[in-house]
Amino acid sequence: MALRFKHIAPFLATNKNNWSRLLSYFGLGLGILLLLCSLQLLLNIQRLLGNENPRKGGYDYVSIAKDVTNATMGQVDKNLFNSEEIKKLSEQPYINAVSPLIANRFQVDLTAGNIIPFSTSLFVESVDDDFLDTLPPNFRWNEGQEFLPLIVSSDFLQMYNVFAPGYGLPQVSEETARKIRIFITCSGAGGIRQTFRGSIVAFSDRINSIIVPKQFLVWGNKTFANTTEVKAARLYVKLKDANNPVFLKFLDEHEYRINKDKVKFGRVKSILQVAITGLGAFGLLIVLLALMLFSFYLQLIIARSKESLLLLLTLGYSPGWLTKTVAGRWIPIYVVIVICALIATSALQWGFYWLTASLDVSISPYIHWSVALLALALVILTAFSNYRMIRKQVYAI
Amino acid sequence: MHITLRNVHPIYFSEDRSVKSNIWGQDMEIHPAEKIQIVAPSGSGKTSLIHFMYGIRREYNGSIAYNGNDIRRFSADELAKFRQQHLSIMFQDLRLFANQTVFQNIEVKRQLQPYHPADKISEFAERLGVRHKLEMLCSTCSYGEQQRIAIIRCLMQPFDVLLLDEPFSNLDEDNRKKAMDLMLEEAAKRNAAILLADLKQIEFFPADQIFHL
Repeated sequence: MALRFKHIAPFLATNKNNWSRLLSYFGLGLGILLLLCSLQLLLNIQRLLGNENPRKGGYDYVSIAKDVTNATMGQVDKNLFNSEEIKKLSEQPYINAVSPLIANRFQVDLTAGNIIPFSTSLFVESVDDDFLDTLPPNFRWNEGQEFLPLIVSSDFLQMYNVFAPGYGLPQVSEETARKIRIFITCSGAGGIRQTFRGSIVAFSDRINSIIVPKQFLVWGNKTFANTTEVKAARLYVKLKDANNPVFLKFLDEHEYRINKDKVKFGRVKSILQVAITGLGAFGLLIVLLALMLFSFYLQLIIARSKESLLLLLTLGYSPGWLTKTVAGRWIPIYVVIVICALIATSALQWGFYWLTASLDVSISPYIHWSVALLALALVILTAFSNYRMIRKQVYAI
Repeated sequence: MHITLRNVHPIYFSEDRSVKSNIWGQDMEIHPAEKIQIVAPSGSGKTSLIHFMYGIRREYNGSIAYNGNDIRRFSADELAKFRQQHLSIMFQDLRLFANQTVFQNIEVKRQLQPYHPADKISEFAERLGVRHKLEMLCSTCSYGEQQRIAIIRCLMQPFDVLLLDEPFSNLDEDNRKKAMDLMLEEAAKRNAAILLADLKQIEFFPADQIFHL
């Protein structure tokens, strides 16, 4: 028959201080429950708010600009992104690509011919093709080409259709708008002037601008404004998650402006993450306090059983065996405590699943595997810390 | 098991104690199944010698070796294992668990390295006249009864050497002989050596060698 704890239990004062022991069990359970729930909630929030953000091709595309303030007003250099700032942004690990929205540095005027009596000065911009949500095959321009393709924000067409009736202008559909021949006249210093025939080849839901092929704008800026310098008022950023708190923090630190609506979930997520991390830290604190209390309880048992332990050692019981046996005595209790906390966490997760069922989001009714892993790690941590304490005490007798 | 004592001398004794002693400062060999009696008055170091040989005290010069292995070089766990399998002791101060029953006091030793089945406890208790005390708390037993309980306890394990420190000090002649017979029988079964330390020579202990401290 193998020697077990029950054989030496009568010689140890384990039945004393039941309140202290029960209190430490309760504290340990409560702390572990808080820790497990915090981790599960963090994972739920990641999933919930990650899904709320509309994504295309697995990436988010957001435009950022510098805040024009009273202090920087009129100082163009301070309100534009220089190549160093663009480089720094593109070096951030969570950003996949950055493309400046290059604007025209020359005069552009648009007329719609005889169909719609409409004429306006215009701004055009260009961006890398990779950042466009719709890229028709004819969105190309080579030097000498008379036809200039345009991609226009679908918001602009909507805005036009809102105010057109008030000015006695006809409302137009996307199909009709694509058929309208427009004339774009570019003029620059020294009286250089050239007119291009153009039409809208696509509408963009992503970019709020009038986009021309990049080759055209590079050529135009060089020809009409005699510049090749890249200074952008806006940058387009391609990244996995526009709600990434680190990205939002970077923007805040550099006073860059972004469409707040696009990242409002990120802000909420950041706040919730801080709150839940705080809850987790509180849970960890309780776990540590409970471990300390339990450690005091064990030290008290050892102190009260010191004479018996000394005699057991004298009779031939090995300190190694005594350490393993006394420390092992509490492992089943740690396991039960952690299993109870896991069951409670699972129940809460089930409740969370039901509460969010109507929100059309996919939250699992079961706890995440990492929560179970954390529970296992806590059993090991508790067992190990108590083993070390008991070993120290027994070998010191 | 061969025991070798080389120039053993307690550090708290003056050097001149070695002059009159057969053991302190001398070399000594104990062979398997040998019966050694150490006779010495109080204060001459009988208990010290027994404790040195059991490895619970280390305040001495020289060396004590079992089969050539110095007992002071054993780790705590190695020493525990050695005691479980090779070395049994009966302390002068008995060292019983006062608040446990007589049976528990003996069983805690037996279960550690069982040499006998549990029913031997009753048999030995019967032979030494403490059978009726088995379920009683040790603290309720007389010192003579406790001495017999300690004797039974030390016979529950395997051993090559049995160390006895004034084992009969509170026993009457009849119980002394019964206890001695039992210990001699058990030592013979194991081919073990006995080292018995007492104030005077025990006439019914068939000593092969007698030493004076």
